[in-house]
Amino acid sequence: MKKILALVLMLVMVLSMAACGSKAPDTQTPADAPADAPADTPADAPASGEKVSLDVIISQYGNKTADWWKQFESDFEAANANIDLNIEIVSWNDIYSVVNTRISTNSQPDILNISGFADYVADDLLMPAEEYISPETKAILVPSFWESNAIDGTVWAVPILASCRALFCNQDILDQAGVKVPTNWDEVMTACAAIKEKCPGITPWGLDISMDEGQAAFSYYAWNFGGGFVDEKGDWALNTPENVAAVEYIAKLYNSGYCNANPTTDTRYPLQDQFNAGSLAMMIGPFNMTTADTKVNYTIADLPTNNDKAVALGVCDQLMVFKDEEAKDQAARTAAITKFFDAFYEVETYAGYMVYEGFLPATTNASELLAKSADKFNDCNGAPGRNEFFENFCSLLPSCQFYPMQKAEWMDVRNGVVDVEQQVSVGSATAQDALDALQKAVS
Amino acid sequence: MKESRVPKKHNTLKKVQPYFWLLPSIIMMTVFIMIPILSVFRISFSEVGRTGKIKGFNGIENYIAIFEKPVFWHTLMNTLIWTLVVVGISTIFGFILAMVLNQEFKGRKFVRAVVIFPWATALIIQSVVWKYIINAEYGSLNVLLSKLGLIDHFVNWTSTPASTFAWECWIGIFVTVPFVTFCVLSGLQSIDTSYYEAAAVDGATSWTKLFKITVPLVMPSLTVSTVLNIIYVFNSFPIVWTISKGAPADQTHTLVTYLYQLSFSEGRGGLAAAVSVVGFVILAVFAGIYMIMSLKSEEVS
Repeated sequence: MKKILALVLMLVMVLSMAACGSKAPDTQTPADAPADAPADTPADAPASGEKVSLDVIISQYGNKTADWWKQFESDFEAANANIDLNIEIVSWNDIYSVVNTRISTNSQPDILNISGFADYVADDLLMPAEEYISPETKAILVPSFWESNAIDGTVWAVPILASCRALFCNQDILDQAGVKVPTNWDEVMTACAAIKEKCPGITPWGLDISMDEGQAAFSYYAWNFGGGFVDEKGDWALNTPENVAAVEYIAKLYNSGYCNANPTTDTRYPLQDQFNAGSLAMMIGPFNMTTADTKVNYTIADLPTNNDKAVALGVCDQLMVFKDEEAKDQAARTAAITKFFDAFYEVETYAGYMVYEGFLPATTNASELLAKSADKFNDCNGAPGRNEFFENFCSLLPSCQFYPMQKAEWMDVRNGVVDVEQQVSVGSATAQDALDALQKAVS
Repeated sequence: MKESRVPKKHNTLKKVQPYFWLLPSIIMMTVFIMIPILSVFRISFSEVGRTGKIKGFNGIENYIAIFEKPVFWHTLMNTLIWTLVVVGISTIFGFILAMVLNQEFKGRKFVRAVVIFPWATALIIQSVVWKYIINAEYGSLNVLLSKLGLIDHFVNWTSTPASTFAWECWIGIFVTVPFVTFCVLSGLQSIDTSYYEAAAVDGATSWTKLFKITVPLVMPSLTVSTVLNIIYVFNSFPIVWTISKGAPADQTHTLVTYLYQLSFSEGRGGLAAAVSVVGFVILAVFAGIYMIMSLKSEEVS
């Protein structure tokens, strides 16, 4: 008796101890996913009459994202009595695991707002955009954005908003150091050296090669050294001499003492805080990174480049629609989705959302409207939008380059280039070897 | 007749009753521990898409894939060093501290209360606070040292992977010491002073007293604290994740942070599950040794 009890206890103890170790993967295990994810509502919608209900997951772009969407939801439902929207706002930290959990429990949302769609296409989960986007809405979307979401000619996602990166310089610090805004990579080094010498306590250059967004750093340097992720044919071209030079330059910055202390763990956000506080002289960041209350006298410039023309990174998030094979009335579901997109991209609504969150629009009519009268909309803190802001950046946007997100290996490349930057910076591999290995792994 | 039936009935009830009371915990353990563990095992032998979709069994491919990664072996090594260093040093520190706190002195209660703080604070908060303390640009350690005149410019305390990892170990030790101290202290307080008096009469030195009386008698509590710490430290996630997230170049991972990164940053659920199973096996061995040891000592007593 005692022995059996002891055995049972032992088993239980071993398991419970080990259970602590497997916490992380458990959360994405399908079997034990919390049952609170709303069931596949469209499937049982017809039972309660003609009502179609749509599950929508929206990324949290700001602290008040939920308020805007609550308003949108009630306006939309008032105008479309037969459609029931369930909008859920999910933070960027969790959104990928939330969506993955829902996919593995077969309760994916109908409409999803996220960055990247190739993985979902690879698993055959999405509907082609042409099937639900009305011709009127398609006509107003910026063509280059629309096409950037195509895989082999089929568009799988719709651009929701965009952002682009620029070089931010603290003009007072540059003046004190007696240097101009750098336009190429050699000038960056010279400017950093001058700032280091003449402005004690100031960090000259902000570098972020962390897992968080190290791929952005790779794009700034690689593109402006003449390299990049892919060649003209769209095939991966990671180990080009230009990319090697770019990564070596990153390592040189890392080891120069001109950068923030821990570029491998510092994300962009503390760097932005330091820039806004005036303790960081230069960094590359999104166009809306300066806070309204910053006292820094800053200049926004093109990225330093060794090319004829600077290439900036454009970031474009997407809306996408999942298939729902269990939906009883596919036509009604698709019609409801079309209405959602028409309502969202309606020029006043959409322009209002762009000002509210501080991003750049992906439609032509909203760009025109905002360049003229962004000030009639308010951002999420109630401050009016700035016309010149939208005028300058909306015109810049079409010349931006985007990540090759439509390629199936993108996530491996994304993580791979961050790893290469870190390895070369700490000296555990040479740029050539690390990039060769990555190229071999993905092609 | 009547009298003999009553105890018999009582007897069956007695036999069944414990299981009845255990039932809720058995159900809980099955649902929240057994099933997740089994599904992690299943996933570790499956091909998992980046979207989390399980695409069927693929044998031991996930295991081969992780064993082929140099990062995995480096991480395993890190995990062993991490566990050994943190548990080892905090056990020694904790033991000494417990001996000190077992002495009569003024303000002992206050000191005991202070000692428990690092342990009683949430790990994540400890980690974030330490991240600020050692920050190179505005960390309080740099400010303090430069005010004392010990350094003339701010030092980057985490400039290399090794120094980053060393700091993580230090934080691990800092938060683990109190637990050891209190385990040992409870053992020390249960030692009858007459042993020491008898030893003094026999002319024992303080070293002999320490190794012949104190250490053997606190051994049971020391064993408990060590085994629990091994499991706890081995699985510790917040410190490493808050301080370095395994960076630079995956040099400072432990198994737990590595599998988290595999699963949630890189979208490789299958590989993460395989790493998790490896960790499970290592821990199961530890737990098994502990259970055998404690069952043996139970038999002896």
